Formats: sequence, structure tokens, C-alpha cells
Amino acid sequence: MSWLCRVSKLASAITPVVLPSSLNVSQVRSTSFFTKHTAEQLWKGVTSVSNAGKKRGRGKGAGKKMIRDLNRGQVIGVGKVNMVWPGLTTNVVRGKELIAQQQLPEDPDREAKLFKLRNSMGVFRRMKLAPTERGWSGNRLPGRKVGPPDPVGEETYDGFETIVLESKSVFNMTGNLGRKRQMSMFVVTGNGNGLAGFGLGKAIDGKAALKSAKNRAGQRLMYIERYNDHTVCHDFFTQFGFTKIYVKQKPEGYGLVCHRAIKNMCEVVGIKDIYCKVEGSTNIQSLTKAFFLGLLQQKQPEELAEETGYHLVEFRSDTGNFPKVVASPSVTKDDTKNIPSYDEYVMGNRVVLKKKKYPPFYVTHDPIGYMKHLKKTLRYRNMEDVKIKLKTASKYLDIQPAASQVAESSSQTPS
Amino acid sequence: MLGLRRTLLFFRSVEANALQSFPCRQSACSFSSIDGAERTNLFFEEDVQSLLKKLTRKDMNKVFRKKKDGKRVKDTVYKFMTTTQLEEAVKDAEKKADKLLQMPPVLSERKEIDHVLVEDKKLVGLFKTKFVFTDISLGKTDRNRTIAVRDENGTLRLANWEERTRMNQIYFPRTARELWVPVMFQEENLVPLLEKKEWEFVLDRACAQFEPDDPEYIRVTRKVYEFVNSTGDFNTLRSTRHYGPLVFHLALFNNLDALLNENLETDRLEDACWAIQLYKILHPEAKISSSFDQSSQLDYVKEFIDNCSNDKPKLELAYKNFKHYLSSPRSAAVV
Repeated sequence: MSWLCRVSKLASAITPVVLPSSLNVSQVRSTSFFTKHTAEQLWKGVTSVSNAGKKRGRGKGAGKKMIRDLNRGQVIGVGKVNMVWPGLTTNVVRGKELIAQQQLPEDPDREAKLFKLRNSMGVFRRMKLAPTERGWSGNRLPGRKVGPPDPVGEETYDGFETIVLESKSVFNMTGNLGRKRQMSMFVVTGNGNGLAGFGLGKAIDGKAALKSAKNRAGQRLMYIERYNDHTVCHDFFTQFGFTKIYVKQKPEGYGLVCHRAIKNMCEVVGIKDIYCKVEGSTNIQSLTKAFFLGLLQQKQPEELAEETGYHLVEFRSDTGNFPKVVASPSVTKDDTKNIPSYDEYVMGNRVVLKKKKYPPFYVTHDPIGYMKHLKKTLRYRNMEDVKIKLKTASKYLDIQPAASQVAESSSQTPS
Repeated sequence: MLGLRRTLLFFRSVEANALQSFPCRQSACSFSSIDGAERTNLFFEEDVQSLLKKLTRKDMNKVFRKKKDGKRVKDTVYKFMTTTQLEEAVKDAEKKADKLLQMPPVLSERKEIDHVLVEDKKLVGLFKTKFVFTDISLGKTDRNRTIAVRDENGTLRLANWEERTRMNQIYFPRTARELWVPVMFQEENLVPLLEKKEWEFVLDRACAQFEPDDPEYIRVTRKVYEFVNSTGDFNTLRSTRHYGPLVFHLALFNNLDALLNENLETDRLEDACWAIQLYKILHPEAKISSSFDQSSQLDYVKEFIDNCSNDKPKLELAYKNFKHYLSSPRSAAVV
């Protein structure tokens, strides 16, 4: 009995609910997310960052989402169907003729144009600089060239170039305004031919600061002596504050091997080959002052000869170390015992600490393994060159491969 | 290797007599004639050498000019010096200049080596390759080292020059010498180089690549000398080690006109006289006197122009111009 009951219950559960066929039910919602909010609020929700995110610096810089104006490019009366609506899209009368409402052929590019316009909005893109115009790093100002100083009256700075060395914001506490922010710019300017100067400018606006720094640098030009227009006159040591610089004269083609700020200074002065080692602080302003101080304190060979009382003789390796007399004193000393060493004299008796070069880690770490590697690769040491030579020889000299093998086999057979 | 050395020592003792016939400077050659070879050997005579050295004109600025030899330029060294120290340094530099200006020898072509040591018919067909035996023991030079080749047909012979150069270069490589002759010495590549005035480079590389009695060396150097002569730009090679051999070559082949012309045009009367003197030494049969004094330099040149010149009208003109220049007040003021 009990199972019969169960069956009947089941049957009643399976039976479908019969609805009258004339009734039509559909879901109706009077409000929606889109109707509840204004466009402004909707865009804010998409583009803005939460307060907590803002504190962490999110939503700034490249990739930042911005509001798109979807109405841009949309004109009332103009749509998918290219209709002429007199009074809306065109004049009602042209001359004495009444313009009729009419449908023109469809513009196939209309939608694509609209999308292109929309896509161009909405994403923040940083202005890209050409690689040659970039400074030391990224889009920041230091290291960038900003053109010659402004002309003074009728005098123009032809051939001058200014390079920004430092750009930073500085603050000043005033009684009235409290923390007052300013931009500080430090630049060098020069004509690449011995004339150069540096200047510091401050202003609330970065541009104004740059302009004043540039023009100040142009007002404080110094003439700097160079050796053969390509390097410093001699090695020297120079110091300003906690910045110490050891400068070395270098032969043509060596390049500028120094701190990036010093490199910019050299470019502006017209020094092409130099080696510098900075010891201590690398504060840009003291670096600049130290370097310019050193350049200005350089001595001419005549001075050196006159001071010491000896001939100054130059031995260049590219001219076969031929002794070339650079300068001679008016009265020459004959004392051979107390001749000063040129390097020490010029460096002010300072000696550069040359650190010992240690072997690389793969030598010290596993000497036996390294020896093994050397032994293994010893026989391949000239292989590349030999291959190239063989190739060229067989290409140009009509040497058959067999001929090269003869030479090899004969050298191998005896052993 | 030891086994080889022993074998080679054996070779040396057996074939010592045969090796005596190695060609060297004294051997006769097919230069132009036997007479020509003898004249070439005059290069080593003392008076010829001193004349050539004088003609080279040791201009220190040119000898120690800036050279682009592909090496990294080192830092310039400065020194404070007393006058005596400076003089000594200059003297050292002059010695160095003499070394740099040492002329590459002018030799006649070497004779082919064609000497069979043993012919062993039993070895015919035993090997499909040749065997080269090289004496690499100490105390041997590239010139007198024994190198023998066992051919496939069983003959054991002394290696020919080509094999010798290759073996020497394999066992005792010389810097800047290639195992195969660089393609730039081929005729079609050489001419464009000469047109670019790379004369010194070509001559230097020829010195490095070839032995001085190698026919190739003689061909290349002569090609350069003839080219320089045709352009008349002798100043490019002056004060280099190749100037002596150049003048020697021109004097030897009676081709001094362009040089004398240049000398007269650039106010080098003394050089012209020395060149003529050299010509007289190389050609004793020429109808000019063998020496000159300071006062008779002009006459000496005239004598050469009258008797031995190939291009008489051109030289006559140059001579006249030079005489006119000498008599003009400007040159007197310079003197």
C-alpha cells in the first residue's frame, strides 16, 4: 500500500501546471543600472581609481583611462542612412530651388571613421622623444639639449648648445605661504670650441627656470684651453666640496669615458677624448664646479717648462715615440738628480689608486675545472681564423680542398 | 717527433753536400742576363749603399709620422729633460730611424730547386699521397732547413720553393706572412691599389709576405716602382725604406728621367747628382764622369742629359727652367 501511495504522489508531482493559453507573461524592470546613473557617473566608475588606489599612486601616467566623448563625430541628422534633410542637414532653398528630401548612397567608411575617432580618445599616451633627443634616461630633462641661450641685443649665440644637467623641485618655507615650491634647473652651455659656462635658474614654472638658467650660463662664459682641440692639456686633479676628480689626457679616438654629467660638459666645451674618475660626492653642481675649476687651472706647456726649468718633451706612441720638444724654458737647469716626474708634478703629487685586478670568479671558484676547459679548448683556438682563411683562399686563389689537406696531413703524419 | 728528428738528422748528414747547392744571392739567375745579375749585386756595395742612404733623405718628421697600424694608441708620455738628456733622446731616435729606414735587399731571382735524393721504384703505388719531411731541429734557419718530399712514384727529392715556404710557414710562422699569397698581389687587384697611392703599404706587405729573391716579390716591387715612376710622385716614398730600392731600380734600368725631372723641379740638385753618380756605378760604360764637386753640379746634370737621357727634350726644359730659377733674384734671396 505504502508504495502505491508513493506512486500516486510522484504522479501528481510530474503533472504539468496547465496555464491558460491566452495569458502572456514577461519580466518587466522599471529601473536598470544604466538608467539609474548619469553618463558622468558611469564614466567615473570606469575611469577613476579608489581612494586607497590613489594613495598608492595608481591611475597615473601611461595607460591611464580617460573619459571618451562618445558624442564627438556625431551630428544630428547624420546617420547610417545617408539622408538629406532640408532644414536640418542642408539649407532649405538653394538659389530659387526648393531642396527635396532624398536618400543618397551609403558612405561605407562612416562607421570606421567614427570608431577611429573614439579610439584615439580615452588613453593617455606620453609624448615620445626621438632617440637622439633623449637625455640620460627616459623623458626626463637631465641630459637633454635645449638649444642656445637667447640673444642679448644683437649678439646671438651661434653654434652654442645647452645641456640640462639637473632639474629638481626645491622648497622654501615662507611666513605667509608656508611650503613654497620652485623648479631648479642647472645647465651648461658652450660652442664645442672652447667656450662654455654653467648656470642655475629657479622659478615656479619649469620653463621659466630653464630659460633663466640657460641665459645665465650664456652670461658666464669661460675660455678653456685644449690640447689639439680634442683633449685636456694635461692630467690633473681637481676638487670642489666633497667631489674629487682625477682627469686624464687621452689620445684621439679614445672617447669620453667619464661621469655622464662630465661627458655633457666635455661635449659642450669641445673635449672629445678624456678619462675621469670621480671620487666622493657626485652631486651634479659640485661636479660641474670641480671640473670647470680644474679646466681653468690647467697650465700651458710653456708655463710648466718655465716653472720647472726643464724641457718638456712629448713621446707619442703613434709617432714611434719620437721625442718632440713641446716647450723649453728660457734658462735650462742641468741638475739631472732632481728632475720632477711630469705626472706627479701635474697631478699635484697625487697618485691615483689603481686597484689590483683580480681573476674572474670562474677561475678562482673552480681552478681545476677552468684548467680542464683551457686544455679542451686549446686546440680550437685558431680554428675560426683558419676556416675563414681557407674559405677565402679556396674562393680567390683556386686552391682545391685537397691541397689544403696535403698541408695538414703532412704536418700530422710525422707525429 | 723524436723519430722524425732522428730521421731528419740522418738526412742532413747524408745530403749535406747536396744542400750546398741551395741557391742564394751568389747564384746565377735569369734576370736579364748574367751581366744584369752582377749589376743587381752591386746593391750591396758600400758606395752604392751610402749613395742610396743619402738619397733617401732622413726626414725625421716623415720617418716618425703618424702611422695607422691598427694598434690602439697608448697614452702620450711626457718627460722633463735637461738639454743633454734631450740630445741623447734625439740621438736614440736617429738610431731608430736608421733601423726603420733599412732598405729591403735587392736581389736577383732565385733558382728553382730540382734535386733528387733517391729514386726507389719499390715504393711506386704504396701511397696515394706525398710525404713531406721537415727538419724542425733547433739552430736552423728557414733558408738552410732541410725539407724533403717523397713523391707517389717513390722518388725522394728536395722540396721546391713553394713547398719550402709553406712548410716553413706551418712550423715556424712569421707574423704578417700568410700561408697563401694574399689576393691583393694579383695583377687585377694590385693596379687599383696603386692608383690609390697605397705604394708603401703594398711594398711593406710584399716585404712581409715574400723572400726578397722570390720572383713574385720582384714582380710586385717592380710593378710599384714603375707605377711611381710613371706618376712622378717620388716624394711619397722619399724618407721611407723603399726609396733606395726604387732609385736603384730606376738607375739599373736606365729610367732616371722622371726622377731627375722631379729633382730639378723641386730644387734638389744634389739629389739629381747623386742619382747620376749611382747610374755611373751601375753602368760604368756610360760616357759621364764618375764624380762631381760642389761647383760643377749643374754641368754634371747637363752631361747626363746630353749623353744618357731617354727623354732629352723634357729634361732639357726642366734643366733650363731650373737654371732660370737659380739666376732669378728670388732664389738668391732664399739662399
